Amino acid sequence: MTMDGVISFAGGLNAPPMPSGSAVAGRVASPRLAVRNLTMRYANGHLALDRMGLSVEAGEMVVVLGSNGCGKSTFMKCVVGLNRPTGGSVEVSGQDLAALSGQALRAARMPIALISQNANLVKRRSVLANVCSGTLGRHRTLATRLGRIPKSEIEPSLSFLEEVGLLHLAHQRAGTLSGGQAQRVSVARALAQRPHVLLADEPVASLDPEAADEVMRLLRRLATDDGLAVVCVLHQPELAVRYADRLVGLRRGQLQFDLPAGQVPMQQISTLYVS
Amino acid sequence: MTRALQAAGPRIAVSSTRTLASIGIAVALAVVFIQACVIVQARPQDLVTGVHGMADIINRSLPPDFSQFAPSLMPALETVDLAIFGTVFGVILAFPLAILAAHNTAPSRPLYIGARTLIGVCRAVPDLVWALLFVTAVGLGPFPGALALAVHSVGMLGRLFAEVIEDMDMGPVEALSLTGASRMQVFTHAVIPGVLPSLLGISLFRFDENLRSSLVLGFVGAGGIGFYLLTAMNLFQYQTVSFLLVLTFVLVVGAERLSAFLRSRVS
Repeated sequence: MTMDGVISFAGGLNAPPMPSGSAVAGRVASPRLAVRNLTMRYANGHLALDRMGLSVEAGEMVVVLGSNGCGKSTFMKCVVGLNRPTGGSVEVSGQDLAALSGQALRAARMPIALISQNANLVKRRSVLANVCSGTLGRHRTLATRLGRIPKSEIEPSLSFLEEVGLLHLAHQRAGTLSGGQAQRVSVARALAQRPHVLLADEPVASLDPEAADEVMRLLRRLATDDGLAVVCVLHQPELAVRYADRLVGLRRGQLQFDLPAGQVPMQQISTLYVS
Repeated sequence: MTRALQAAGPRIAVSSTRTLASIGIAVALAVVFIQACVIVQARPQDLVTGVHGMADIINRSLPPDFSQFAPSLMPALETVDLAIFGTVFGVILAFPLAILAAHNTAPSRPLYIGARTLIGVCRAVPDLVWALLFVTAVGLGPFPGALALAVHSVGMLGRLFAEVIEDMDMGPVEALSLTGASRMQVFTHAVIPGVLPSLLGISLFRFDENLRSSLVLGFVGAGGIGFYLLTAMNLFQYQTVSFLLVLTFVLVVGAERLSAFLRSRVS
């Protein structure tokens, strides 16, 4: 796989067929997620992100690599609207999230779904109820405020569970799932949100290699088949190279590279982790 | 060799300081205990000389008067109902207060402080004192006792509920907030399912405690077996007293077992 220090994109045996290069030809021209000059300086003066730019199109999967404290988490928090950046813009489906707040921000971030390192499921509820809870933002009825799940979302939620391969566990308690299964349910919950952009913040950090591969395959398929724009923060360069269309390197809050996965020399990836 | 001694020097100094500190703490604890013995006027010899009186009372109490079974059923029910009323109202009032008194769910700082203060006052005043206050307000009978248990339970449950809410896993709460769910939806879909088993367990435990408290509350005129027991004592009907103690034992152990069984089912 390695030629002259360059890792080829074809990856491992389990890797699904993927479009080569960065942009996926023939897809929507305007990016689903456009981050421009994103700058984040914390109150203590620390510059966590320095004029970071990233553009992700529908059907594309981008993996962000970098060492601890390089700004990856800050980047994700700014994109999803948890942190208000000190400069720049985050456009999702044409709307600038960085300029919004309150109810407008809550509404505007509906097209972005976030998957965290932990599945963050409500353990005592059923898997199906957990998936349905991803749709609550669209169903602000009295019944859902009283803890009921929206009935009209049961069928679609079952199909999302089928998509992640866990339909047979729909009525099981979420607390009984393995780590990999729980993470796939959290992906189904994210899908129930009907997002345009799927963010995954170290989604496989607490999983064994087999479960990690399954989750990565799923994310890859969601980009390729469902046309989602997927941005995934990873600590495993080998998984990144195997599944991503593009690799983005972050170091000390600055963009180091943004290249098609097949064109990133391993050496360049290693420099991200040199202190 | 010299260097080794030099290095050992500070170590010896540290260990002798520690020994001195340990002796100091032991002496201080002994002083505290001795003053407690003096203040409570502890006289173990009285226990020895008073053994005849105790034996006499036990002799007069036996056998328990089981003919009192039928007339004591109503007071027994009253005692159980005092505990049920106190626990149910305690839970109903404590839950919303606990939400305001948990730092991760409190909507604002003034509400947080207000709720904490209210819970603190309910807890700091013992249920017996609450009962005396309510007796002066609504008169004798089981109702002031039930109110006292409810108010004191608000204090005890409010604090424990708030702790459970503060310790809960915030991951699902954050995850649902990010999907665009409203505050109320996040609360009913993530907070409540997360804390409900613990809250039920605590409430059942509270019921068990309230049952024991309701027995004592009878002594201040709040009805139930306690009141019946006090009357029998005043009339020197020791066989009735011993029967009522047996009944109390059965009730308390029964409530404990039931509460433990239900708690194990809940968890």
